[in-house]
Amino acid sequence: MANCGFILLEEDVKQISEVLGDFLKETDAKSCLVIDRGGQLIAIEGDSATLDTMSLSALAAGAFASTREIARLVGETEFTVLFHKGRKEHIHVSHVDDDTLMMAIFDDKTTVGIVSLYSRETEKQIALLMKKSRERRNVNGLDFGALVSDSDNMFKQKDA
Amino acid sequence: MSAINYASKEIYFKIVYYGPGMGGKTSNLQYIHKSIPQDNKGNLVSLATDADRTLFFDFLPLDAVKIHGFTTKFQLYTVPGQVHYNATRKLVLRGVDGVVFVADSQWDKMRENIESFRNMEENLQEYDFGLDEIPYVLQYNKRDMDKIAPVDYLEFLLNKRDIRVPSFASIATEGESVFDTLNKISKLVLHRLNTEMKAAK
Repeated sequence: MANCGFILLEEDVKQISEVLGDFLKETDAKSCLVIDRGGQLIAIEGDSATLDTMSLSALAAGAFASTREIARLVGETEFTVLFHKGRKEHIHVSHVDDDTLMMAIFDDKTTVGIVSLYSRETEKQIALLMKKSRERRNVNGLDFGALVSDSDNMFKQKDA
Repeated sequence: MSAINYASKEIYFKIVYYGPGMGGKTSNLQYIHKSIPQDNKGNLVSLATDADRTLFFDFLPLDAVKIHGFTTKFQLYTVPGQVHYNATRKLVLRGVDGVVFVADSQWDKMRENIESFRNMEENLQEYDFGLDEIPYVLQYNKRDMDKIAPVDYLEFLLNKRDIRVPSFASIATEGESVFDTLNKISKLVLHRLNTEMKAAK
């Protein structure tokens, strides 16, 4: 099994940002994240200053994966959307492809219907872009041999 | 699965701490979280029951040292060790790059260690990973307890494949060997990515 999940180039990130930017304009959502199903954040647009995006991505991927298991138990392949309604903030997590999710965070300026509607088109565009980056197996310019030779003590303790 | 972002100059890896219940997986993450400089860590998230048993997973994002302009980012996860939580263990293994198997050194935990190791092998297989393909290390934890098996015996039980993997005798709650284990698995996953990149050239 291939170890490298995806390789994102600057142009990929720019294109994904544009797609997410359009989605935010159309829907009035506050922010939008693209997340690998293994829990890794791939891209984010919108208001992210107060968000712990790493934890959010890991937890959203975990929650979506667990609803998939629930779906299987009731005879479905997958619930394609996960929606959590809060008092002020709401989240909408949806299927992009077998390895990718999209998460929109929004408030009462918009509705779940609008978010859901525009998500569908955005998911398709993101899926196309992610397909390219997941198929990419190597890019010139990064010397991994040098990375490995310098990797003896990657983590140090505070008092070390 | 690892990932490379050339725009943000980051490389991502996912490490999963696996092993029997109450063996010290969460203690590893707690010690790392406590001991690593503030700038290199995110929040430790624990989805646990009231009795401090891991229900879904613990999660700790870390930034390692910057190498040649790229920041290597590691996400550490634990799985719930209890036997009946296998569905969630499988979910957490999705996209894994390397595994730390945390065994409990106490004599009366040997059966649980073996069952958990076999369970790990089965669950990795679901993602098409054999133990010869995925980097993993062994940690023999709780070396401070009274009735513990010798390290040689644990090696005999858990490290008897053709290719022996690195192993560490640890006391996770006190931090003994916690960073040695983390640094070793980090190096192994980087090495594996390097091998794969070379093969793709």
